[in-house]
Amino acid sequence: MADRYSFSLTTFSPNGKLIQIEYALQAVNQGVTSVGIKAKNGVVLATEKKASSQLIDNDSLSKISQITPDIGMVYAGMGPDYRVLVDNARKAVHSNYKQIYNEYPPTRILVQDVAKIVQEATQMGGVRPYGVSLLVAGHDNSQNFGLYQIDPSGSYYPWKATAIGRGSSSAKTFLEKRWSEDLELEDAIHITLLTLKESIEGEMNGENVEIAIVGEPADHLLGFEGVQASGPRFRTLSVQEIQDRVDSL
Amino acid sequence: MPIEHSFNPYGDSSGGSTLAIAGKDFAILAGDTRHSTGYSIDSRNESQIHSVGDGLLVSPNGFSADARAFVDDVHNDIIWYHHKHNKKLAISSCARSIMHTLYRRRFFPYYVSPILVGIEPDGTGAVYSFDPVGSYEREASRAAGHASELLVPFLDNQVRKANQVDPETGKPLAQHDLDLETALQLVKDAFAGAAERRIQVGDWLEIAVVTKDGHKVERYPLRRD
Amino acid sequence: MSNPSEINGGAAVAMVGKDCVAIASDLRLGLQSVGISGDFEKIFEYNGVYLALTGLATDVQTLSIDFRKKHSLYELREERRMEPQTMANLVSSTLYSKRFGPYFVGPLVAGLNSSTSKPYICSFDSIGCIEHANDFVVVGTASDQLYGICESLYEPNLEPEDLFETISQALMSAVDRDALSGWGGVVYIIEKDKVTKRYLKTRQD
Repeated sequence: MADRYSFSLTTFSPNGKLIQIEYALQAVNQGVTSVGIKAKNGVVLATEKKASSQLIDNDSLSKISQITPDIGMVYAGMGPDYRVLVDNARKAVHSNYKQIYNEYPPTRILVQDVAKIVQEATQMGGVRPYGVSLLVAGHDNSQNFGLYQIDPSGSYYPWKATAIGRGSSSAKTFLEKRWSEDLELEDAIHITLLTLKESIEGEMNGENVEIAIVGEPADHLLGFEGVQASGPRFRTLSVQEIQDRVDSL
Repeated sequence: MPIEHSFNPYGDSSGGSTLAIAGKDFAILAGDTRHSTGYSIDSRNESQIHSVGDGLLVSPNGFSADARAFVDDVHNDIIWYHHKHNKKLAISSCARSIMHTLYRRRFFPYYVSPILVGIEPDGTGAVYSFDPVGSYEREASRAAGHASELLVPFLDNQVRKANQVDPETGKPLAQHDLDLETALQLVKDAFAGAAERRIQVGDWLEIAVVTKDGHKVERYPLRRD
Repeated sequence: MSNPSEINGGAAVAMVGKDCVAIASDLRLGLQSVGISGDFEKIFEYNGVYLALTGLATDVQTLSIDFRKKHSLYELREERRMEPQTMANLVSSTLYSKRFGPYFVGPLVAGLNSSTSKPYICSFDSIGCIEHANDFVVVGTASDQLYGICESLYEPNLEPEDLFETISQALMSAVDRDALSGWGGVVYIIEKDKVTKRYLKTRQD
């Protein structure tokens, strides 16, 4: 009965705080900055792709992940924890939703499912909280475009634009000045790059920045044509696509 | 282990469906021309409507070997009736004769549910239907064969006016004698529906119209799949 | 007694009209040949989506309650209406989850899409295979009779009142030729912003 003695590591301190969660947030705040902006006709997610060595094969790395054809997410904090959450999120999409309703979940439902997984790690025995914050961008027919943040506590917030990670507070101040109601997706991508540029050390280019969008259905990614079907709205931009935009900053 | 042998005298080869409607001075016997065994179509052109003499039409509806033997019996009975009595066999008498033909095989029945159609001596159209051992009655309409469950409710509703009320008075609609044109349209609609949902029904629809002057057969296409 | 789907009896039919759908069922509950009740309704409403459940009465009741729970939780969680299409997929996955010990039911779903008002009907087998149709769907112990008469009576683009007449005549004539169905009927005519429920008096044998 090993589990009988495996109490939750997240216990309340006398002043009513959960110290483990605060530590997890600190891990997030040491992480690489990620930015998300919601525009009129889409959402953009962006992050810096930092290589700790010249020898790292950077093009095989990606930090922004697709969860459903219309939803994607990015993180700040601990990479391994993020990959576990991506895996769990993709599983939740199918077992909690697609296999029941034969359609993909709306963004908020996916966010709630992931937040539930994250929250459970703050109460369960024998585990530590996830050391990541997530930005989730998506589209669904009832709520249109959505951008959410999920924290290690399991809290989630809907945003018009936000940032997480090391440079998040200055990035948010920057975004407050730049965001407006009638932003187009292309403008949002532009602002994202400007925001990241502030925190990137050295030159910014298509190699060290990763961008994904949720926009109009990308029918060319469907793999076939000839019948009425719409492609995924989530799409990562190629190195060339990012480079072109960096050049025109 | 003992070796067992058995022989099943009844097979499952049969025609599709038949349908009969009695009118004021005519009677209709209609049937499709598909003949099948299980999922195989044996023939797309095997008539189920048999003229047995004296202006009478019979459709046997059932296992086709028994069906043939049965129709031959009825045909023979009419010939012998002529020899013995030298007069036309009335349809009500033919119906009684068929009853005896079927009941004679009470313990090894012909696997058929026949319909007999003709004109009564008083000039009205008549439909008689039988079960395999000879129980029979005269009716306004009848359907038999593979699609009988599909055809019968439609006939109840359109020929007998079951469940229909006069919108003015709210009183149930009385069964009135159909005119030939309406009856023919009902038959075509009924079979189009049956052919849609029953794989044993299809290919061609044969409609025989009996009047006091004899009978006439017309053919219409049904779906062939 | 060997076939659970034919113990209690019952039949249902749904039809598509012009900007409307209709769903109807009989009211009989029986034990084989013995009639028990003439007010056993088999059509359930889930905020504008209609579900008919024919078959074994205990499964009809259990599933209608199970779907009430699932539907309510969905609408609370998602803060939106469940579309007929979504309901159909929920019915399908619920039935398939009992693939090797099925509920003995024949369900129908009918409704209008809440945003486009497009008519939707479908039927299922007892393990959840969906059958879509743009004219009519039938289930129950009188399904053969219903197929026959619907195939002959149905025509597309009927106005609500004409659709009511068609589905009612189809239901009544069909259940009159099935000993296990009948004992009255109920019809729902579903329009964009109006639903009309009517009871049918039928022969009581």
